[in-house]
Order: sequence, then structure tokens, then C-alpha cells
Amino acid sequence: MRAAAIGVDVGSTTCKAVAVDAAGRPVAHRVEPTDPRIEPQVERIVRELREETGAVGPVGATGYGRKRVPSGRALTEITCHARGAFATVRRSGALVDMGGQDTKVIRIGPAGEVLDFAMNDKCAAGTGRFLEVILGRLRVPFDEVSAQVSRAARAVPVSSTCTVFAESEVISLVAGGEPLEGILKGLHQALAARVAALARGTAGSGEVFMSGGVALNAAMVGALRDALGRPIHVVPEPQLVGALGAALSVLPGSP
Amino acid sequence: MAVAVLPIHYPKEILTALDVLSVELWGPPGAPRGDGAGRIQSYVCSLARNALAFMAAGGADAVDGVLFPHTCDSIQGLATLATDFGGWGKKAFTFLHPKGPARESSRTYLEAELRSLVRDLEPFAGRRLEPARLAAAVALHREIDACRAALLDGRPRLAAGDPELYALLRRGEWLWPEDHLAELREARDRFREGPIRPGIPVLVSGYVPEPPALLEVLERSGAYVAADDYAAVGRRVVRAAAAAPDPWQAVLDRYWAAPPCSTRSADPDERARYLTGLLERSGARGAILHILKFCEPELFDVPALRRAFAARGVPVLVLEGELELELSGQAVTRVEAFVEMLAAGRAA
Amino acid sequence: MILRRAQFELAGRVVGPFLASLDVWKRQLRRRRRAPRESPFGPPLESVRKLKELMTAHYFQGRFADGAVPVAWVTSGFPVEILRPLGFHAVYPENHAAMCGVQRLVPGLSDAVEAMGFSRDLCSYARTDLGSVVTGRTPVGRLPRPDLLACCTNICQTVLYWYRALADHFHVPLVLVDTPYVYGEAKPHHVRYVRDQLEELVRVGERISGRRAEPEALAEVARKAKEGTDLWADCLATGRSRPAPWTGIDGFFHMAPIVALRGTDTCNAYYRLLRDELRDRVRRGIGGIREERHRLLWDNLPIWFAVREVATLLAERGFNFVCTSYTNAWAEAGSRIDPRDLIGSAAFSYTHIILNQDLPNRLGILRRLARDYAVDGAVLHSDRSCKPYSIGQVDLKERLAAELGIRVLLLEADHSDPRAWAQEQGENRLTAFMESFG
Repeated sequence: MRAAAIGVDVGSTTCKAVAVDAAGRPVAHRVEPTDPRIEPQVERIVRELREETGAVGPVGATGYGRKRVPSGRALTEITCHARGAFATVRRSGALVDMGGQDTKVIRIGPAGEVLDFAMNDKCAAGTGRFLEVILGRLRVPFDEVSAQVSRAARAVPVSSTCTVFAESEVISLVAGGEPLEGILKGLHQALAARVAALARGTAGSGEVFMSGGVALNAAMVGALRDALGRPIHVVPEPQLVGALGAALSVLPGSP
Repeated sequence: MAVAVLPIHYPKEILTALDVLSVELWGPPGAPRGDGAGRIQSYVCSLARNALAFMAAGGADAVDGVLFPHTCDSIQGLATLATDFGGWGKKAFTFLHPKGPARESSRTYLEAELRSLVRDLEPFAGRRLEPARLAAAVALHREIDACRAALLDGRPRLAAGDPELYALLRRGEWLWPEDHLAELREARDRFREGPIRPGIPVLVSGYVPEPPALLEVLERSGAYVAADDYAAVGRRVVRAAAAAPDPWQAVLDRYWAAPPCSTRSADPDERARYLTGLLERSGARGAILHILKFCEPELFDVPALRRAFAARGVPVLVLEGELELELSGQAVTRVEAFVEMLAAGRAA
Repeated sequence: MILRRAQFELAGRVVGPFLASLDVWKRQLRRRRRAPRESPFGPPLESVRKLKELMTAHYFQGRFADGAVPVAWVTSGFPVEILRPLGFHAVYPENHAAMCGVQRLVPGLSDAVEAMGFSRDLCSYARTDLGSVVTGRTPVGRLPRPDLLACCTNICQTVLYWYRALADHFHVPLVLVDTPYVYGEAKPHHVRYVRDQLEELVRVGERISGRRAEPEALAEVARKAKEGTDLWADCLATGRSRPAPWTGIDGFFHMAPIVALRGTDTCNAYYRLLRDELRDRVRRGIGGIREERHRLLWDNLPIWFAVREVATLLAERGFNFVCTSYTNAWAEAGSRIDPRDLIGSAAFSYTHIILNQDLPNRLGILRRLARDYAVDGAVLHSDRSCKPYSIGQVDLKERLAAELGIRVLLLEADHSDPRAWAQEQGENRLTAFMESFG
């Protein structure tokens, strides 16, 4: 299947790329940790995708490193995530995207247009980094988190608003004999509370979707659902939403 | 003689009439350095923190005095901290303008406060305040405001980029008024009126257009400032019809006639009405609230302004800054995303 | 209207106090049933029972106030003496917000107004109050709707922005007493401005209440306010004894009547009771903490949501706050009230409260308190919500330490939002501070 466009989402943690066909359907993708030397990495990824799919089309770029993509058309992650999510879910709502170093909430209208947005990218405490740091410290593998949290009888509250302080707070809790599952649940609740605060002013009252690497963590989805008091629908292939949106933005014939 | 003046509102006409140069201190931007850097806590706005560090490090030693308006709690505290506990050793003046709605008590008080300030300034300036000089100063500042208003209101048709225009307007923060007026007149001739410029018109309300890179990013993204409500710029442009014959009365009238500001008398409804008027006249399709982090007077108005803009279907971006020298990547993304959003709205 | 008024009076005089004493009786019963614990504190004050009765009755009565009497929401530094003779029931959003702080209700209330666009960097009292108004959630059952909002900027400029938001919500008049800051000495025209605004206040108050402000009634309230202030000062002064008969924390709670009920007989009767009990404890050598080893000064508002934890942490090591600049403020504000000229003396007095005067004045007050109460250390609470109180503390810390040779700690926290307090780190700093006394 010949791809017609490629989208690259150069995040500060991971680099994602999606190739789409003329109808905008994804036909190939890549996810890698972002190399500090972005340009050679992106060049290689694009070349690999072109070879795999026979793509000759344009490249759309988004994410923190979007301006470093050679011959890419740069658009912000707000525009691209909205486009990518809408292409998949085909209806209006609020998208909560939780990435490695930023969290965003985007209100999407009935035609897929961006109506409003809010970002948290100045403080790690409201992003995926918060969990990453502490889970790393506790040596809990990412794929075990959800199971552990669901086993918790009750959440052990984690009150620190700063990632660094939360880390030392959690260590004290563990040393004090608090159950690990409860601590993990408390961590997720703390992060969800911050994301919910960001969302409340922007999300409106419609449906809520979730994307980003953190959406692969079922415990986080559950915690956010509880914090917002509303059902949350995780967009399929949540990590690729931005790259998909970037590809769709440069697809010949798209607005 | 020259005085450093802290933001925002002060009687320029009186300083001009006394032949005193005002040099406004909007920061300066950048991380506070020197011994004074840590004397104000980090949860206070960077204007107060930077100003203290700057003054304490001798940055303002070129002037002979400093004037502190009663802008807010932070500047109020800065004034006593710098002059009483160290950081500024020369003359210090205060202009404790009234707050809240204009009542009879506020009008009486404002006049008394201005006369008191004059009594303090006269020995410093080495001259008495003469009515004829005050009248001339009023006329000069009226003309300056008329030029500034013409440039700001005629913005959509000016063949000038925002960075260039703002650099010109901000020179008025430290130039002798006559020199600033000469530059403004020259600019009016140079920036000949032409067709409506391309790009998406936006309204910007906030404290000070720092860093200037913000204006460049706006322009590169395909937008421009069509309506200005910066405290440092548009919010101090007085568009009064005719000056009262008595120069004192003219000074008072000009104070009350300035656009609404959260640090003076305005209630949020008054500000919302004024800003929606600006919005309509300029055709702006989006509004950016460029807020200095921790600035209480501005932050309290945000919900009312959001509501007013939402009622008109105008999207709002709240952009928080800390008087940095560089524009952060995060700020660039927000501005670009906002303009992308507005552009898509036009296309739809 | 008459029925409503009758309900209001009944609530205040009979039902409120009854419910309050019932509540107190229940607590006592519970306490007696539990075995006595090892507590670093001295025996609790008996007067606290009466205090709870008073404040419970006040808030209970408040539920029936709107529609019965004119209601004013008032800032803590507002010259409420002028409104009392006009029959206003005064509500103190700050006092209510402090209660919400103690009960850790602030994050939920703040979330509600943050969703409306109010920044979390704004004063937590304002966020708490606006959050309570917008959600209807309050620990006191119900706050009566205001007919008038009355704010005085002597404590800060923020109250003006906060009360404007309240006016926007309630659509009632906002009367402002704007007090220019005192650098050195207040100029005559500054005091005249405040006086003029008080005259304007009288006219607005009369219009809303439908009553005239009679000179005798004003003088009477002025007398009571001055007496209450002096009685509160007497209570505070007992802290000079060794050991101090009560803790700084007690002071923060027992402050409620002089703030919220100033100018009433109830307030004064209460402080007579408290003063007598405190003086009795001084005579008998009973301390607020069991073993007083070090005496401290506290500056700025309390950390309401951690007030007991902090007090206990300190008491366990023999540290007590024997004086605070915050409680002291209410022993000073009303002391210059002159019943012969309430309006004029109030204009002067309320312009000269601690937060409306420059840093040298503030240093003077702290220095005087430190000497009078013979403290050997001080904690300056760097309250992120209260810029007028917090700006200058870095310098005040160094000057106090140098001039008086005492140890001073600058402690970063917030007066009512627990999300701004790093508990472990904060308690660590307090512990290290105490250890430094040797």
C-alpha cells in the first residue's frame, strides 16, 4: 500500500512517526526514545518509513522538536492531536493528552476544529514524568502498575505537589510500612487531581477522550475517570495521535 | 533631574512641567542578580523582585530619585523595602492614587495627593510648578497621546511590523517627551496608511510586551496586534476630547479619562466593556491575556474577561510570563497553537 | 419579615446557644470516656467552651439573618463599629475561610473557582470564599446573603479585587474604604480621605438599613469596641508570664470574637471571662504547655490546616508561641478609637494598623513584642497567599536576629491551602530550628 504522507511527533521523551495512505489511514508507524540529536534520527525514521511503504509524499512535524525536522511542515501538537483524535473518534469532545513532559487538554468541535486548549508543561508534577520518576525509584515495571493498583484496598494519600518532594514522601511511606499498592494508587490519584484541575476549565461538559503514552496505563485512566467523575474513552493507538494528525495535516487534498 | 518610575500610573505632565525626566522601570527583564536578588520571595511577581535587585545593584544610580505609585501590594512593599531597608539611598517619592470607583472622596483626595506630590517634587526639581509650564506640559502629552492613539488605532493599515512599532512606542518610557513626540511624528509620516495588512488581528491585554520575541513569534505565525491593552502601552493612552482651560483640572481629567486598569478604579465589567469595544473597532478575532505570573490585580479579572470574550465567540489565550529575556519554547507553542486555531476558524 | 426577624432573634438568643452547649457537652462526654493521653500541652482552657458556644451561636443565627436584618460581609480590618448601630449582622468571610482552612476544605472549594478561571496563585482566602459562594458548600450550614459588601484595603489591596468578584456574584453594593499606605507618617489629606469615605459609608449604610446613625449609638459602639480591644490586650499580656498561661495557637482561635463580634457586649463579656481565667492560671503557675523551655514569636497568619500539628511538634520539645504579630494587631487597631469622635478616630486608627504601615514600623512592633514577651526565637511564616505580610520578611529575619540576638526561622507555607505546604520539609525545618537551640 503506497503511503501518501508521513507525520512525525518529536516529543521530548519519545519520537513517533506514522505513514498514512491517500485516504488518511495509517499503514506503518515507529516509536523510539528521542535521541538528543533529533535531525539524524528523524531523517532515518522518515527514510525507513518511505522504504517500507513506498511513500513519496510530504512530511508533517509536531511536538517539541518539530522545527528540527528536515523539510517538514511544522504545526503545534495542539492542532495535530486534535486532528489525529478526531480522525479516529469522529465526534466532538475534550481530549486529554498525557505525554512524558507535558499534559494538554483540547476541546474539539463537531467539525474537528480546536475550540480551546490548556497546557501544563512547566511543571513535571502534572505529567507522565511524575509517575516515571517515582515508579523508577520504586522499581515497579510499567506493565505491572495497573494490576498492582487494582489490588489496592485503599489509596495512601501522597500530598506533595512537587515530583521531587513526592519522591521522598513515597520513600518515607514505604519505609513506614504502607502497602505498595496503596501508595501506587495514591500516586495515580495525585496525578489525576492535577490533570483534572487543568481539564475542568477547558473541557466543557461533553465526552472526554484520552491519548498519549500515559493512556496505556489503565490505572491512570481509571484515576482520571474518578477525578473528573465522567467516563473516559481512550483513543486507539493513543501514543500515535499526534503523529497521525501531523500526517493528515500535510496529506494532499486536506484543508 | 531624573526619576526612575515604577509601573504603572503617574502624573507625567507634572514631572514634565518641573523639567524632570521620568525613566520607567518595567523590570528590568531577566533573572534578578546580585545581593538584592533573594530579598523578595519567589511567589511575588518578578517585576518587584527584579526592580529591587536592579536598584540594589546600582542599576538606577544614573537617576536622582525614584517614584513609587500605589499600584499593588507588591510595589507598595517594594517601596518601603528599598528605601527603608536598603537598596535605594536617594530621594524617594510616592504617588498613592485612589482605588475603587470614582467617588467624590476619591476626586478630592486625588487632587490633594497630587498637590502634596508637587510640594515634595519642587525642592527636588529646584523650581516651582508654574501654571503656564503645566499647561504646556498638558498640551505636549495630549499631542503625544494623539500620535500614539493614531498609530495604535490605525494599526491594521500601518506598513510596519509589531516589533518595530512597539520598539518605537516603548522609547517613550525614557525619552524626553519632546524627543518622543518628534519620533512619533516622523513615524506617522513613514508608516504611510495602506491597505489592511495581511494576518490575523488579535487583541493583547497585559502588563508589558516582554520579551519582544513574543511579537516576532506572533508575526511569524501569521498574526499581529490589532488592539493593544498593555499597561505599558495602550492602557495609558488618554483619548480625551478637549483639555480643560485650567491645567490642574486638565491633569485630573486626564487621570480619570485613562482606559480602565485593574490597579486603579476599574471593576471587571468596566474593563470588559472597554475591551469588547476595542475588539469590535479593531476586528480582532482572538484575545491574548499576557499576564505577569503572580500579578493579583490582573489575575482576578481573568474570569470576567473570559466570559465577556466567550459571549462574543472570541477565543482567549491566557499566557503567563515571568519577565524573561528569552521566550520559552512552551510560550512559543502556546502562541503558535492559538494562531493555528484562529486560522482554522477563518478557513472553516 | 416580622416572622423572619423573630426567628433571627430566637436563633441568636436561645436556639444557637443551646445547640452550641449541647455540642460541647457531647464532646466532653466523649473525652471523659477515653483514657487520658500523654499530652505536651497544659490543661485546656475552660473558656474555650464559651468561645465555641459564642461562635456557633453567631453562625447559627446568621442562617436566619437575611430577610430579618440587613447583612454586611466585611473584611477583618473594616471599621465595623460604624455599621453596628445601623443594625447590620456582620459576616466575616476571612473568619469563615479560616474555618474551612482548619477543616481542610480549601482544595475542593478552590478547584471550583479555578475551573472558572481564577488562578491558584491568588490568595487562598479569596479562593476559599468565592469557592464556598459558588458551590454553596460551607461547614457552618449556611451563610446569609449580603445586602452590602464592605471592604477596607488596610490589610491588603487583594480584598478589593476579591470583593468586586463577590459584588459581581451577588449584585449588591460594594462600599470601599481605601486606606493609602503609611510611609513614615500618614499625611493629613490621607486621613481626611479615609474619613470622607467613612462618611460615605454612613450614608450607604443608612440607605440600606433604613435607619439613621445616631451619635449616641455610634459612641456606645465605640466604647464597647475600645473596651473589647483593651480586654483582648489584657488577655494577650498574660503571655508575658513564665510560663505563658496559654499557647499561641489558643490565641489564634480566641481571636475570633474581637474580629467578628467587635463592638458587642457578647464579645466583651467573653474576654472578661477569658482574662480572668488566664490571670488565674498565671497566679497558679499553669502553663499553656507542660514544660516551657523556649519562648517564640510568630509572625504572619497561622498555617490553619496544620495549626495543631505545628503546635504539638513544638510543645513536645518545650517550645511555645507566647506572642504573635497577628493576634497583637487586634489589640492595637481599636485602642485609638475615641467614643467622642468615632468617625475621625476610626479613620486614623484603621489607617495605622500593622499591615498598612511601612517596614520600620513593622520591625518596631516585632522588636517590642520580642522584648516584652522575652522570646528567645521567632518563626516568620512566609505566607505565599499574603504578600503585604510576607514581603520584607527576609530582611526582618536578619534584623531581628542581629538586633536581638535571637534565632529566627523563615518558614514557607500558606495560611489555608495545604497544597502549598510541603509537610515533611516544613516539619524538618521546624525541627532543625528547635535543635539549633541546643
